[in-house]
Amino acid sequence: MTNKYLLKAWDFISSFQLTIVSLALLMLLVLFCTLAQVPLGTYGAVNMYMRSFFVWWGPEGSTWIIPVFPGGTLVGLILTLNLLASTFKRLQLTWAKAGLWLVHIGLILLVSAEFVSAALQVDDRMAIEQGQTVNFVENSRSMELAIVDVTDPNFDDVFAVPATLLAKSKTIALPGSPITLNVKHYFPNAELSNRGPMDPPSIATMGVGPSVKIEERAITSNENEMNATSAFIEPVISGRSYGVWLASIALGAPQSFTHEGHTYVISIRPTRHYLPYALTLKKFSHDVYAGTDIPKNFSSLVQISNPSKGEARDVLIYMNQPLRYEGRTFYQASFGKGDTLSILQVVKNPGWLLPYISCVLVTVGLLVHFAIMLRRSLKRRQEKVS
Amino acid sequence: MKLTKLLPWIVGVSALVLALFAAMPQGKVNGFDINGFAKMPVLEGGRVKPLDSVARNSLLLIRGKQSVRFEGKTLSADQWVLDLMFRPEVADRQPVFRIDDPDVLGLIGMKQTSNAYFSFETLGPHIDELEKQAKAAQPIDAKKRTRFQSAVVNLYERIYLYHRLKNTLQLAGTPGLAVQIQAVAVPQAAEMHSALAQLALFRMLPPLAGQKEDAWQSVGEALEAGAMGQPLHPGLQPLSRIAAAYGAQDAAAFNSGVTEFQSLVSSLRPGAMSHANNEITFNRAQPFYMGMIIYVLALLMIFVSWLWKPDLLQPTAFALLLVGALVHTAGLAFRIILQGRPPVTNLYSSAVFVGWGAVVLGIILERLYKKGFGTAVATAAGFGSLIVAQHLAEGDTMEMMRAVLDSNFWLATHVVTITIGYSGTFLAGAIAIAYTLWKHIAPDPDPETGKALVSMAYGIICFSLLFSFVGTVLGGIWADQSWGRFWGWDPKENGALFIVLWNAIILHARWSGMARDRGIMTMAIFGNVITSLSWFGVNMLGVGLHSYGFMDSAFYALSIFIATQLLLMGLCMMPRRFHFTKPSEKKA
Repeated sequence: MTNKYLLKAWDFISSFQLTIVSLALLMLLVLFCTLAQVPLGTYGAVNMYMRSFFVWWGPEGSTWIIPVFPGGTLVGLILTLNLLASTFKRLQLTWAKAGLWLVHIGLILLVSAEFVSAALQVDDRMAIEQGQTVNFVENSRSMELAIVDVTDPNFDDVFAVPATLLAKSKTIALPGSPITLNVKHYFPNAELSNRGPMDPPSIATMGVGPSVKIEERAITSNENEMNATSAFIEPVISGRSYGVWLASIALGAPQSFTHEGHTYVISIRPTRHYLPYALTLKKFSHDVYAGTDIPKNFSSLVQISNPSKGEARDVLIYMNQPLRYEGRTFYQASFGKGDTLSILQVVKNPGWLLPYISCVLVTVGLLVHFAIMLRRSLKRRQEKVS
Repeated sequence: MKLTKLLPWIVGVSALVLALFAAMPQGKVNGFDINGFAKMPVLEGGRVKPLDSVARNSLLLIRGKQSVRFEGKTLSADQWVLDLMFRPEVADRQPVFRIDDPDVLGLIGMKQTSNAYFSFETLGPHIDELEKQAKAAQPIDAKKRTRFQSAVVNLYERIYLYHRLKNTLQLAGTPGLAVQIQAVAVPQAAEMHSALAQLALFRMLPPLAGQKEDAWQSVGEALEAGAMGQPLHPGLQPLSRIAAAYGAQDAAAFNSGVTEFQSLVSSLRPGAMSHANNEITFNRAQPFYMGMIIYVLALLMIFVSWLWKPDLLQPTAFALLLVGALVHTAGLAFRIILQGRPPVTNLYSSAVFVGWGAVVLGIILERLYKKGFGTAVATAAGFGSLIVAQHLAEGDTMEMMRAVLDSNFWLATHVVTITIGYSGTFLAGAIAIAYTLWKHIAPDPDPETGKALVSMAYGIICFSLLFSFVGTVLGGIWADQSWGRFWGWDPKENGALFIVLWNAIILHARWSGMARDRGIMTMAIFGNVITSLSWFGVNMLGVGLHSYGFMDSAFYALSIFIATQLLLMGLCMMPRRFHFTKPSEKKA
């Protein structure tokens, strides 16, 4: 009895019908995802339709949501299963089917590459001004609250708390430092403006906070907008409060307090990852075509210095020519400040080579298969003629 | 019997001769060596091109055509630009501004009539109001403007282009370039020099010996340099004589000025001179326009051949198709050489190339299967795509590539492969349409022909799956090289994936037996919808790193195209002769 059901399930999993339905579902998802990019931005739309098991929907203004459509992850998984099952079930191990074998293995690789990058890819950026040396990358999608001990001019002691932790906890002890933080209020996104005389008083007591009016805003996932993450925090050291401060990514000027000769700077900033090496921007170049403002090229001449490897060398990063170093890839992404600031996109994706391999496999596979088919059809035509 | 062998040759050769004839330079017009002046190289939009290209592209932008009807005569773009620069009082009376929007017409006190062309003189009294309206609309994001706002901004931009062109070589309403050169160092002239330098649309004075390749100067810049005490650019004097002579309509003086300027430029920049010479030949030949005409003739002939004398007309239509393909190919090759780039660099050239790919595939099909279906779909695809290309041409179609696209390797691999994928999908769709029409129209459809059409479409779908898949993955690899991610679900990438998925669905549906002949053909027609959406639809979304520009009127064209395809799909699904009463019912 169970055997019969298993067989049925196996038939279903390996059926052509499932392939076609999944491909059609994938097509619809791609269509929805494309259209949704206008209001949601690419990142938001991809998370909603592609990198999810289900597409969720709820009426505007209510809190409950229901799954209304399979998401990209689910369809991708089903398609992979179907691909594996039908490959084993239908494809005989013969030379005539060699092309199809290559195609299907290549496709499995391609889908797994997308899963790998969905799970493991990290996108950061690095902004360097000419002459500056930078040893960290920043992630503008996640924020952190940083308390930096700047007492020693030679190095900074950084104590950082991910912004998501501020949302969850009321008090946070910073390991390695005497400071405990009381989180009075956390804003994932907010709008800051000058506090007028009629506005209610701020809960901040120190720094610029008391003169700032802050209003909570909905989180945005649009690439062109940034969440102005902000928080009211109160640093406490062995029972003594240093006042309530407003920290925000939208505030430019540094704010600091002093405890027993140590100066601590408070800020909210994009999450930083420190690298075991540093990049120095020697020169940024940007040309336009004569008499136009069409960009002709951008390039950054940087020096990598990696003391642990005794490495110090110059590299030119330009369009279509990234630097691949220690598992990270540095791309020329943007520039600013009158051509003295270069912005590099920094990507860490352990699966970056998979699509290359898959591309070769599928191409060769399709060529082989269609060549075999063409030969067969030509033979048939010849037989008919003779 | 002899005629069937001879006629294809006669028709083919005469079409070819006509096409070549168009490339010949036009003689002197009323004694003026207009061609001699129009072939001079200038720097505009970051590249060296003949003045003729600037004239044609500007007139195309302003008027929508490359010629003007004025006082019962047709003026070429070159004649128009000469009038505009040297006899602006005449040019201002020529009706060159096309205005269709009824609200904009209302703004200048006009009613919508059959005449949609207006002269600068007519617009003159309303320029201030137009400027006010346009300035109010300009800060609004182009996608969020109302129809009136878009139209008024568009008209204002065209007027500004006209104004710049008018004030490129000499300031309109002043005594002329010669006087300005004489007074070059007079302090009061400085303002005029800088006005001229700022308005200049193109730079006509070539770099002197020892200067950088792209150091072309506009007349205003050269005068500014002269005012600073540097020696005057040697091209200024001959240019001022050309200007004065044309203004006075003195052909002999104009021609001698042109000869003098030509020999100066040839000695300074022979490379630029010969490049401009080649490009003007290309402009005159209009190979894609010629190809379009030849394709449509071939298509009409194949239609006639199915009713009358197929043995005579089908080979003739095929000969015309070959000549059309030859002209098309020559045009593509010429473009590649002129631009020094692979065939597809923008939306316009992608249309030209999609058509070319479909034509070549169609020729192969015709050789394999005969019967004229290959010729029919090839000519239809060639004609259709070249018409689309004509409408996509906005200004210079050989503009410089933005930094991120500036990679001949990837343009040659990714872009070309994916465009061939488009060609294939469209061709399969065209075959399916031919099948549909044949099924309903042919008096006695033989199953043999039906099978042949289905296997043609099937083969082409396999071909397009290969190319669109490889093209898509190569695109991913390019993106990995330049933006740091292989796949980002960007609209353009999704569009490419769309085509791959659809072709894969068709093939799996056939292999599993879920779809038979009629189903495959209906799906192949839907491939046209998918491909057109992925090709143009994503540009209309205006998001993502890839989009080339928002197209307004194209939206309607695309909607109509999709509607017709859906109708054809319905027709394909219908049984043959569903519109006739069945004999059995008649009896009852």
